[in-house]
Amino acid sequence: MKRLAAVVALLGLATATACSSTDNKPAGGGSASGGLFTTIDVNRPGIDASAPANPYNPKGNAFPGYTTMKIGWVVNHLTDPNKALPGMAASWEIEPDNSAITLKLQPNAKWSDGKPVTAEDVKLSIALAYTQGSTAFAVTPGAAGAAAEVTVVDDKTIKITQDPANPSPKFARGVLDTTVLPSHVWSSAVPATIWDTIKTARGDGPEAEKAREEITALGQKVIAFAPPKDVAGGPFVLERVNPGEALLVKNKHFFNAANVAPSQVKFLNYTGNEQIWNYLTQGKLDHSGFVAAPTDVMNRIKAAPGSEVIKGYSPVAVSMAFNQSKKPYDNVHVRRGLAYLIDREQVTKVASPEGGTPATTTSGIHQKAAAAWIPDTLPKLEPYKADLAKAEEEFKTAGLTKKDGKWTLADGTPWKVSMHAPAGFSDWLSAQENIKSQLIKAGIDAEVVTTADYPVYLEELAAGKYDVGFWLIALGPAPYDIFQRLYGASNGWANVGGKIKHSPAGKSGNWMGSPEEIEVDGAKINPGELTAKLNSVGPDEAKPIMSQLAMAANQDLPVIQLWDYINNQFVNNSRFTGWPHDDEVLRLGTGVLPSGVWIQQGLVKAKQ
Amino acid sequence: MSIVLESTSATIRRNFWNGVWRVMKRKPSRMVGVVIILGFAFMGVFGPMFFPAQLPDNPDAITQPPSWEHWFGTDPQGRDVLALVITGSRYVLLSAAVTALITVVLGTAIGLYSGFKRGRWDTVLMRITDMKLTIPGLPLLLVLATVWKFGNPIQMGLVLGLLGWGGVARAVRAQTLSLRERGFIEAARGLGLSTTHIIGKELLPSMAPYIAMNMLIAVTGAVYAQVGLFFLGVLPYESDNWGVMLNLAVFQAGAMITPTALGYLLAPLLAILLLTLGIVLVVDAMDEIFNPRLREE
Repeated sequence: MKRLAAVVALLGLATATACSSTDNKPAGGGSASGGLFTTIDVNRPGIDASAPANPYNPKGNAFPGYTTMKIGWVVNHLTDPNKALPGMAASWEIEPDNSAITLKLQPNAKWSDGKPVTAEDVKLSIALAYTQGSTAFAVTPGAAGAAAEVTVVDDKTIKITQDPANPSPKFARGVLDTTVLPSHVWSSAVPATIWDTIKTARGDGPEAEKAREEITALGQKVIAFAPPKDVAGGPFVLERVNPGEALLVKNKHFFNAANVAPSQVKFLNYTGNEQIWNYLTQGKLDHSGFVAAPTDVMNRIKAAPGSEVIKGYSPVAVSMAFNQSKKPYDNVHVRRGLAYLIDREQVTKVASPEGGTPATTTSGIHQKAAAAWIPDTLPKLEPYKADLAKAEEEFKTAGLTKKDGKWTLADGTPWKVSMHAPAGFSDWLSAQENIKSQLIKAGIDAEVVTTADYPVYLEELAAGKYDVGFWLIALGPAPYDIFQRLYGASNGWANVGGKIKHSPAGKSGNWMGSPEEIEVDGAKINPGELTAKLNSVGPDEAKPIMSQLAMAANQDLPVIQLWDYINNQFVNNSRFTGWPHDDEVLRLGTGVLPSGVWIQQGLVKAKQ
Repeated sequence: MSIVLESTSATIRRNFWNGVWRVMKRKPSRMVGVVIILGFAFMGVFGPMFFPAQLPDNPDAITQPPSWEHWFGTDPQGRDVLALVITGSRYVLLSAAVTALITVVLGTAIGLYSGFKRGRWDTVLMRITDMKLTIPGLPLLLVLATVWKFGNPIQMGLVLGLLGWGGVARAVRAQTLSLRERGFIEAARGLGLSTTHIIGKELLPSMAPYIAMNMLIAVTGAVYAQVGLFFLGVLPYESDNWGVMLNLAVFQAGAMITPTALGYLLAPLLAILLLTLGIVLVVDAMDEIFNPRLREE
């Protein structure tokens, strides 16, 4: 009898398991031919079922590339920041002097409720972008690359001109990277007088100040805005969401719906990397964006049926940054000594074997972008290959002494390299642990200290509380964005209204504390002013400046570039194929889910 | 006369230890418990002395599975996991010992005073105890961790001890209330013996087994609490801390995905499990030693 009960129980369990199976079949038994596409939003852990379908809400259930559209999808070009794929705009014309961009909207673009997408929708979306302080649509006085005027030419054409006061070569990028929302849904999020307020805010005086405050307050209102129903412009529309997953269904009104392969998209919930690893090793996901993984886990992911890891360029590098207000890091020879001492290949092998390439040198630029921007300068840079003898020589030149196998400061006090990282940044912690070991072996005492989270880490770093911390650099593709990480506000050079003001070390967020002028090839340069120039010059003029800055970074070492990131995209060929392998489209604008863009462009095909 | 008394007390002591030995011998598992606890005490005191301050790492052998060379494999820095567990034991055990000591000393003192004195002091102290018992420990620790770094095991033990005395105080008070009405306490009072003598020589020895058992159980509670906090990543990173090891095993080495990192996950878990087992076995023996009714002979 007991055996029978056990068999019945097992059968019951098997039935229940079969019923609750999460195989990739269309939910609700729909007649969808393209099938279900399963993915995760790698930018947003933890699905909040009660969050609105609002792309500006940090927890919002809006999926850029899938449900929400941008004017264009800016790509990951090595040197051109304005290159983009068509989004809600089918094409655009940029004036040769970057003074204006004219957008031509997709002729057949419709919202998911069937209403056509018009230039008025784009204009309202720009007003919404102003409330969030976007790059091109900022009311901050003197902001670089800000728009001056938005003109609706006709129902499908809109022209945006750049403010000539402080122009930027990446103005078009700022415009294209704007989310387009339906005005018939979102017009109630801002008052009808919003454009008058924006106009006033862009002026001077107390009225402008008041208008700017109004816009900031509106920003909060926009973030909290909850559309009654998701009216999407993208290839999918939100059907339902629960804490475990969000289900999107195909938007039949999407202008390129015929080429959109999946009929449904499921976003799975996750809270940490290990959950994503689990999905990937089980072959559950058709696509996942970059997620750091140790080699053994990566091997298991690759072993999953149909699994493929596409590697591409990621315009980010991680560096070990110094607070030069603290001794002995004010001495360039100490920084150079550490650059020679730390074996970057070993650090990368331990900390980011799959997601990074050891930096070939410290230039402030990702090695791939450096080869495109400054190929002639690269061979002239000191590579700082691991060399203990050279490191000791530099330390001696700095006045440090070695007693009983331990390095001490010039005044005889013990030297301890105290490295900081935010808790949870496992690759950074692992790197610091390895560097600590390398330093201790060389006779330098070291420690790794964690901070509760990233915002607190950045706050304490800016307050000058750390001697040494890790710092992201080389944030391309725009030359100014690349070098402002080294010679921007964190190093004392603030760009206010196109004018550069230098603050002394320890003041106004200057935690790096580099000297205001650096000698490069016998000539004194001001790296902050040169960096600011990059914000207003074209590519040809930018190249010599970038060479000078790379040499300055290489000689003066405000940071030691450790590794350049690799963009790993995880895809599965079991259900869908046609994945792009082109570096440019493997990574798109901030927050954009690239697979949504690949699907809407018709690149992804259902497997036959 | 004094010679006779001394010889009597020496005989009692000898008989006690003989009894202890008999109880321990009866169930070999109890001996195992004692060996485990002594082993952990030895590990905490002397273990780190067997290893250099910076454990040797090997970038060519990161996250290796268990082998003859590395019984529990290596961590993501290529360090021996067993060496990490041993060097990390000092922090965990020292803070657990401090926690246990504070829990028991504070809990016993408040419970005894409250139960023996009764009246207003009893009311005040027990209301404070009630208030303390209503404060949820883990959320409070999470909040404290944001302002206090707990870099020192004594600090950690102090905080955990200050959070854990409530239960002991309540139980000791209840025991005191019961014992103070017994004949031998009445007799002591009748003989005009001092309060210090009654508490120190009459009441405390009767409660000693209970207090000792609480102390051992407080050790396990403290280990779980601090390892939990380190696992959650709210306390400062220290690569050989058992909680940090568990965190890194799951979130950095992928122990739930790949078997190569399993040793890294299991080693600190086994250490905690073994320590708990040792304590449970010794508490079982203590129960019989101090409670004659449980003796099987």
